[in-house]
Amino acid sequence: MATVTNWIDHLSASEVQGAIYPGVGSEGILVLIGIVLWIGWHVISNMQESKKMNDIARRRPGKDDWKSNSPDW
Amino acid sequence: MFLIHVGFCMYEVGASRYKHHQHTLMKNTMLIPLVTVTWFFFGWWIYWAFPTGPGLAPSIMNESAALITDKSAFSAAWYVPTSDIMGVNLNDHISGVFWAAFLLFSWTAASIVSGAVIERITTFAFGILAIAIGSVFWTIDAAWGWHFDGWMLKILGYHDAYASGVIHAIAGGFALGILCVLGPRIGKFSSSGEPRNIGPRNPWLVTVGLFLIYTGFWGFYAACNIPIFDLGPEYGMEGKTFWTATNIYVTPTTLSGITFNFLMSLSGGLLAGYVVSKGDPFWTYSSGLAGIICASAGNDLYHPIQSMIIGMIGVVIAYKMHYWVERKFKIDDAVGAVAVHGYAGFAGLVICGFVLNGYPSSGYSVGAMWDGTTYAAINPLGMFLGAIIMFFVLGMIPGWIIAKVLHGMGKLRIPREVELAGLDYQIIEDAGNDEKAVASSSR
Repeated sequence: MATVTNWIDHLSASEVQGAIYPGVGSEGILVLIGIVLWIGWHVISNMQESKKMNDIARRRPGKDDWKSNSPDW
Repeated sequence: MFLIHVGFCMYEVGASRYKHHQHTLMKNTMLIPLVTVTWFFFGWWIYWAFPTGPGLAPSIMNESAALITDKSAFSAAWYVPTSDIMGVNLNDHISGVFWAAFLLFSWTAASIVSGAVIERITTFAFGILAIAIGSVFWTIDAAWGWHFDGWMLKILGYHDAYASGVIHAIAGGFALGILCVLGPRIGKFSSSGEPRNIGPRNPWLVTVGLFLIYTGFWGFYAACNIPIFDLGPEYGMEGKTFWTATNIYVTPTTLSGITFNFLMSLSGGLLAGYVVSKGDPFWTYSSGLAGIICASAGNDLYHPIQSMIIGMIGVVIAYKMHYWVERKFKIDDAVGAVAVHGYAGFAGLVICGFVLNGYPSSGYSVGAMWDGTTYAAINPLGMFLGAIIMFFVLGMIPGWIIAKVLHGMGKLRIPREVELAGLDYQIIEDAGNDEKAVASSSR
């Protein structure tokens, strides 16, 4: 996984390779994983939000009911 | 510049009612990661690929009007997310810094929209809309009207040094498009259609937030410049050396001049806002911002008194337009974002066309309007068309269309019961139960 194992060897090469993060060459897979995580976040957070909204809507609290739950300061 | 976002969060929470506070904060906060990751995946690429339109004016780098994806120095090819430049690379020490500077503008564009829609939009819908304005539409407009190779500079003579249009007019227009579909908060209008004021619940948070936005905005001005650059060789002037600060178009300005103008336009906005709103703190503070926004298009070249006067004009237009649109079209812009950013930004572009009429839009060449291969001079018609493109074409219309789609999916607006009870109802109830549990155990 390590792209560099010896800095002196790496930097004294006739042509220094610029990219030094682990797994150089696997950027396509990393981007794919990133996109899955991004889209997945929307899907999961949307489900959570919908459930929360539906729960509150079903109980139909009044517009000032929250005041009775407001904690002491 | 990060302070702009801190300020927006404070301002927005301060303007919302207590029962919506935490949701309001989270909505604005979550745009940061959403816009950041999409800016990495495609936003930054769009900026470098789209200056030509595509198809509207040839690039000065490769003389092609296609998307700029070749292997030239400023090509989008380097900024695809799989590029090894988009990471720790010993052959590139600066790309990530530029990437982040533009990203902060992206956050600002989305954050402007966030304030207008508080207390009734779903976080899901806002996330999609934030990505659309922050990582797609503003970056297209930046490629067209802010990039040194942008087609709007060449064909229209567009000039927008500190983003009256490329950030503010587009974000204001985008917000207005959403508001047309989203509708007002419950109770905003009486049954006869008369608007009611739902004022900020925490004026201290609002005003401190706006102070922070001013501070961040000053940093934004500096970030829009190249601090020192030799224009002689850049413009091909043989044997000539001329070191200067430049704006984003690589035309000369000075840090001294823009400091005069930033503060004079802020002052003009505050002075006009205080009078036009009869001393209302919320509007006076917002007007300081509107003053800067209106003068920003030409603040690289204006005289300080011109900046002040333009700031004043922008505030009067924004304030009057806000109440006229609210009453006429029943638009509930909760924090005045469309007015402060959209109307003031639009007015600033139009005014810039008159005041800077005849200045070259670029140092690379001077040509005629519509030519496309050279750069047109700044002119009133080009700037007016530029304002239309920013506010309507890339702002309001896309905002309206995406909001319509989300509305059609039933995902745009929270249920009426939740809006009445408060978005934080469950959080507050849980906190109340925790409080009771603590109280009972300490008897």
